[in-house]
Amino acid sequence: MKHLQKKIWLLAIVVLIIMVIIWISLTYYNQKMQDQYNQILERYLIINELNMVSQEMVTSLNAYLLDPSDANFRTIERRKNRVGQLYDQVTAFRNTDNESELTNYTNLTASLIEMTERSVNFQISDETDTAKAALNEAIHIADYVSEMRLSVIDKELRTYDIFYREMIERSEKLTELGVWLLVTIILMLLFFTYWFSLRITKPLEKLTESAKRLSKGQFDREIEADSKDETAILAKTFEQMRININNLFIETTQKAKLEAELQESKYLLKESQLLSLQSQINPHFLFNTLNTLSKKAYLEGSEETSDLLVSIADLMRYNLRHMDKPTALHEELYVLNQYIQIQKARYTDRLTFVTEIDEACLDVQIPGLTLQPIVENAIIHAVEPSEDGGTIMFRIKNALNHVVIEVEDDGPGMTEEKIDALMSARAVNSEKGTGIGFKNVVQRLKLFNSSDHVVDIQSISGKGTKISLFILKERSEMGYDQSSYSG
Amino acid sequence: MRKLFTLMVAVVGIFLFYFTFQAAAAVFYTDWDLPNSSEQDEGVPRIVLIMNEIDHPFWRGVTSGAEEKAVEMDIDLDVSGIYGNNTDDFLRKIEIAIYSKVDGIIVQGLDHEKFKELTKLKAASYGIPVLTVAHDVPKEESLRKTYVGSDQFEAGELLAEQLLKDMGKAGEVILMIDSEQAYFQRQRLEGIEHYLADYPDISVIEAKIGAESDQGLSSVNDLLNHFPQAASFVAVNASYTEELVKEIETRRKVEPYYIYTFDEERGAYALLEDGKIDGIVEQSPKEMGRLSVELMSEWLQKDSLPLDIEGYFTDIQIVKDLSGQ
Repeated sequence: MKHLQKKIWLLAIVVLIIMVIIWISLTYYNQKMQDQYNQILERYLIINELNMVSQEMVTSLNAYLLDPSDANFRTIERRKNRVGQLYDQVTAFRNTDNESELTNYTNLTASLIEMTERSVNFQISDETDTAKAALNEAIHIADYVSEMRLSVIDKELRTYDIFYREMIERSEKLTELGVWLLVTIILMLLFFTYWFSLRITKPLEKLTESAKRLSKGQFDREIEADSKDETAILAKTFEQMRININNLFIETTQKAKLEAELQESKYLLKESQLLSLQSQINPHFLFNTLNTLSKKAYLEGSEETSDLLVSIADLMRYNLRHMDKPTALHEELYVLNQYIQIQKARYTDRLTFVTEIDEACLDVQIPGLTLQPIVENAIIHAVEPSEDGGTIMFRIKNALNHVVIEVEDDGPGMTEEKIDALMSARAVNSEKGTGIGFKNVVQRLKLFNSSDHVVDIQSISGKGTKISLFILKERSEMGYDQSSYSG
Repeated sequence: MRKLFTLMVAVVGIFLFYFTFQAAAAVFYTDWDLPNSSEQDEGVPRIVLIMNEIDHPFWRGVTSGAEEKAVEMDIDLDVSGIYGNNTDDFLRKIEIAIYSKVDGIIVQGLDHEKFKELTKLKAASYGIPVLTVAHDVPKEESLRKTYVGSDQFEAGELLAEQLLKDMGKAGEVILMIDSEQAYFQRQRLEGIEHYLADYPDISVIEAKIGAESDQGLSSVNDLLNHFPQAASFVAVNASYTEELVKEIETRRKVEPYYIYTFDEERGAYALLEDGKIDGIVEQSPKEMGRLSVELMSEWLQKDSLPLDIEGYFTDIQIVKDLSGQ
């Protein structure tokens, strides 16, 4: 707070100095006037006293002549000395104006002293009459002294008349000066205080404004401070804070944006993986179908060929259309039935396909061509190898938040190793080349559900295998079907 | 708005500062018009000029001449006159001058015992030279150093000469004098009488006017009653002139009378202009003043300088009418 303190001190000191200057000059002026006045008054008093003591001297002379005692003599001497002193003082008052009057005055007193001395001397030498005559003359002279004093004082008054007038005039002017000074100082103080307070409060105001802006979240405006005191430091600190916050803010936004982009690219990657997996399925299926067709044509001629071809066509159409989109479960189920038709045409009585379907679940979305590869695998592994054929159980069950699709066969079953390999989606060397199909389904379901728990395989050797697929009713993964499959 | 305000404050500020400084300057500016302390050394002679009727034109002439000379010679001249004709006051002035130990006294001579005593004893005992001006007193009675002024005897003669010229060689001439008969009046009287003594047809009558008159002439009026045959009046004491003219006018015309006076009379020139009087003896008051100061100063500076005890006479002349001047 040094700067602000300095400013306040400065103002106080300036005011103080002005006051002191005024006080000193007024005191000095007053003193000067007083001195001048006293000096003049003293002149009058001394001039007057000379006369007074002269008169007293004559009185004491008279007393001495009546009673020539030592005491009276000493009184005369004392007064004479006093007159002598005053004489010197009054002589010093001589100036060009009062010269002749004052000289007359002093000389008169000198004459008086002489006359008094003469009278005393005559009295001492016992010439009483002469002494009396001298006394009379002394009385005369004392009279003249008195008269001359009047003319001296008169002259003095006339000389100092100008001075008196000037003094009166000056005291009037002093009053005038007082008024002017008062008004000036008041104005000056008001102005300085205003200016001064402005210099203190203005940066603070600016700072306050900046703080308000910051609190509203506007971090982009610079905080200025044009002062040099503490507020500048405050403003600088504040500004640093603003820059820091602003930088943090920008950084956070960028990070969020980056993350969003990263997420999207992840989705894209998944989508492309899915597409590539789906594109792997089509040739397999076509291959299988064509295989079936060729076997059928080989065995029975062409009676049911047209029906099969319709089914194939349906499948083909479905495949072409639904390859890259999730479809409703009932559609998938329809395609599965078409497929079973085809397979039944192939295996006739050997294939028994039993369905157990909870109708409420048929609206659940699943990726296209999910069921068919599983059922196909079951046919290949359970029905095809056996001469008596086999039964495939297909169930759709409703669970709490997902739909369970079970495909159960009564084939020879799988080994634990095989199950593990299928579950971990490792590359499986399928004897009949359908491993890729299963793996593909699992992979897609995993992506679709955004969960690893999509499939469960239960297999008892010699009794059969049960594969369960779990389809979430409501997928937590946002934007999968909307954005990823939009193309 | 803000700019206007600032401008206004500035203007008011400048205005106030100007007046404040003005007032301060007026208060603190010291110009005491006080006299300097005297640097005159004691050597400068102090001379007092003492006279009656200080406001009289004649004496104003003397004073101005003296003052001029005093300034010229760097002398401290103190003119100490009285108004009017009070003898006591006049003598008091002289006494004060003596007790004040002036260096020289130039005084209008007064034919008075006390005056003589003062000049003779007091002034002498204090060693103060006394110089009479305009009016003399007998030198042996006053111990004056010298006299500066008109030769009154000659003035009388001059007047008589003029009177003779105007009136002719026969007639009654009344010489008006006051009862005190000052020395200068006596001299004039002597001058006139001396001159007219050669003309037996002219009868000269001294008329003393005043309470102490042995002729019973308490006033000018009495004079006219007393001397109805008078052809000419001479106001030896010039102060009677105006009264005389006034009194005559109340009775008959003034013109037939030959009236003469001296220039001490205030109204003399006005009367002359009106043709009511026939002549004025004019003196040289200014010259008197100058000369008296000069002589006194010389005497003070060179003690040995012998002053003519008889006096230094200044010019006199008769003025008939003002156009002739």
